[in-house]
Amino acid sequence: MPKLTRRTALSAAALLPLAAQAQAPAAAPQAERGLFGAKTWKLANGLTVVLAESHRAPVVAHYLFYGAGGAEDPVGKSGTAHFLEHMMFKGSRNVAPGAFSLTIAREGGQDNAFTSRDVTAYYQHVEASRLPLVMRLEADRFAHPLLGAETLESERQVILEERRQRTDANPRGKFWEALEAAFWGRQHWAGRPIIGWEDEIRAITREDLVEFHARRYAPENATLVVAGAVTEAELRKLADEFYAPVAPRARLPRNRAAAPALQGMARFEMPDAAVREASLTRRLKAPGLLGPDSQHGYPLEVLAHLLGTGPGSRLNRALVQTGLATMAGAGYSGDVPSFTNFTFAATARQGVAPARLEAALDAEVSKLLADGVTEDEVKRSVRQLTAGAVLALDGIGAAPRLLGDALACGLGLDTVEFWPRHIRGVTAPQVMAAAQAVLGRNAVGITGWQVPA
Amino acid sequence: MTDFTVPVQIVPFAGGTAWLVEDHSLPIVALAWSWAGGAALDPAGQEGATAQGAALLTEGAGPLAAVAFADALRDEAITLGFGVGRDQFEGSMRTLSDALPAAIRLANLAMTQPRFDAEAVERVRARALAAERRALETPAGLARRSYMAAAFPGHPAGRPSAGTAESLARLTVAEMRAALGRQMRRDGLLVTAAGAIKPEALARAAEQLFTGLPAGAPALPPALPGFTNFGQRVVPMVAPQSAVVFGQDGLLNTDPAWEAAQVMLRVLGGGGFASRLMQAVREQRGLAYGISAGLDLMFRRGMLLGSVATENARVAETLAVLRAEWARMAESGPTEAELADAVAYLTGALPLQFADSRRIADGLLTLRQNDRTPEWLNGRSARLAALKREDLAAVAKRLLRPEQLSVVIAGQPVGL
Repeated sequence: MPKLTRRTALSAAALLPLAAQAQAPAAAPQAERGLFGAKTWKLANGLTVVLAESHRAPVVAHYLFYGAGGAEDPVGKSGTAHFLEHMMFKGSRNVAPGAFSLTIAREGGQDNAFTSRDVTAYYQHVEASRLPLVMRLEADRFAHPLLGAETLESERQVILEERRQRTDANPRGKFWEALEAAFWGRQHWAGRPIIGWEDEIRAITREDLVEFHARRYAPENATLVVAGAVTEAELRKLADEFYAPVAPRARLPRNRAAAPALQGMARFEMPDAAVREASLTRRLKAPGLLGPDSQHGYPLEVLAHLLGTGPGSRLNRALVQTGLATMAGAGYSGDVPSFTNFTFAATARQGVAPARLEAALDAEVSKLLADGVTEDEVKRSVRQLTAGAVLALDGIGAAPRLLGDALACGLGLDTVEFWPRHIRGVTAPQVMAAAQAVLGRNAVGITGWQVPA
Repeated sequence: MTDFTVPVQIVPFAGGTAWLVEDHSLPIVALAWSWAGGAALDPAGQEGATAQGAALLTEGAGPLAAVAFADALRDEAITLGFGVGRDQFEGSMRTLSDALPAAIRLANLAMTQPRFDAEAVERVRARALAAERRALETPAGLARRSYMAAAFPGHPAGRPSAGTAESLARLTVAEMRAALGRQMRRDGLLVTAAGAIKPEALARAAEQLFTGLPAGAPALPPALPGFTNFGQRVVPMVAPQSAVVFGQDGLLNTDPAWEAAQVMLRVLGGGGFASRLMQAVREQRGLAYGISAGLDLMFRRGMLLGSVATENARVAETLAVLRAEWARMAESGPTEAELADAVAYLTGALPLQFADSRRIADGLLTLRQNDRTPEWLNGRSARLAALKREDLAAVAKRLLRPEQLSVVIAGQPVGL
């Protein structure tokens, strides 16, 4: 499942359109309501609880995030976090294997889970009166999953089929996997596939899963987010009843090896007979909203928009509207516990040589670095990024995903709740400082081409 | 059993009626509208004409060239789009309430004064050609394409709605404009809305939205011919995993057993882990990441279609399991417990389908395209609860034909 980023969910958005706020952006923050009006507290066992109350529809979304993802996989056992996600549906002390999803379905609910580089999350969307039921089920597998050996081998086959479907039988999937590995190294946490290398998926044992659960699924490393039609008093009572009994455990901190001492720009090319379009993916090492150089985080979001989001962006004008590319874009999300990527992507039009497209991209980047950006461009991007923030309240999925992901990565609630204000505060000099840091002469990255064989 | 109902208002406006679910809890309005037709109205050799025309509606209109038009939408966080299906042409928008007048004006401009600037035409053509080629890069894409062509040879349902590489390369602007002229008319419109808008305001907005379109209704798309049972076909492609598409003829959406068939198919192959196919293929044998089957509605007829992907060496076993489950359901139907579970899911899930303005507007539009009424929607829970095991067994026996299951396998399957 693709990771939802703030840019996809909140783009075109603003704070609740209270006139006073719009006119006085510098007003005292504590008087201002955040985007989702979220409240948060901690249970004695260390579990963080977040509520985004909304009575727009008689439904609730219940998400449990763990601050551990594919990047936390043990060495040589890539795919462990994802394998555990699958096995969490195979029963717990009071819930038979497979019964979890069947119970949710019987209640008219939707349930699933996802594993990203940084987090693993489990969720259910149900009619509001079913909240106690899903909390009881989720808390049971949080505390006592079976991870039964008798279900392990068949699930391993399912995961291998998932890998074939997403990656091995999908030229784009194969390319992106190989590109990350070429950039960071096959065994670096940033270079391994989240689903795991095939031989390592085959090598994962029950003990690996038990160990990962014991050390990473500690209450102190988990964030419960509930959005929808429930009051704070009700949720406090339910969280105390179902989640407070989960025993506290020592939390194993993330073990993020530093980036390898890469220098300059690497190149990677992968011809594939199944591919019919030549396409470029360039990844550049970039800071996130935590860690060194985090001041560049919000300016990089504006930079990605200005360079490569939508028809008015620089890359669209220079590469797509000139007939060189069928698509061209830039992307960045700083919601990560450590460093991340700034990404360029472009697909060559038929008959356009890859080198010509790449030269045009390089020329745009050089022009940006040499001539800078205008205040008007920054204003336009800020406006388009933030104009529709309130649209994220339409539906119940965006609030828990954004809030849970941010908190599980170690970010504060304000990165989501006051994201529009953070973006509105970005200036042209900040955008240029970020651009120089990530795209400038000390840039570290890789340019990958996937081409028809 | 839920007593959840949806308060649908029927709002007349000059030119038709709009269905509305009103909700002022957020300053957001979603609208959706459609005409029957879609890709089915493309003349032979002009496949993709309607889809290309639809894509160009938001690439510049009236005084606004493509970038200016896009910025006018994006500055106000308005989403506006047009889509072409096999038998429908749809438009949709979502906007903040404050920007509703601008959204209506821009949508009307798009439908009545699209520019078709040469740069935009070639750009959109190149994008469609790339998407068309890319759709065939994976076994799944190739299998889907091959399946529809085999099931409906010579009919628009068997052609890709977006066009083929050959047709896209030679479509002219005149053909695209003619396709839009056939399709976007003052009559034959279905309109739905959800969110912060009062009935009177919706009536005015709908009138403004469609002002200036030519009178009359679009021509009806050609009737769907019978489903061609084509047996089993292999489309060779180098890949470690085969993609399988399977199916057979289904039933009309006016069939009295429509809902019994929906519930029976939920038990057989519906989404999630609950279905027999998912249990047999994934949970018990680890043969696939997922398998599903259900009604694919086109031209008011529901086709039984499903898909699965499995390692080349295990295709034969997967197909055997699939056929056995198809036959088992045909012979004896679901159990009482399976019926109860499926009905509990379908009724319990209704509130979740009405929690987001776009989804509400889209859901209402689908109901209208199938000639359903608000009473049909609000009576659904009670009708589902009244279904008996025998009803489902009867429709399973009538519909499911394991020996007529038509299958396309894209990949390098072994042992077939």
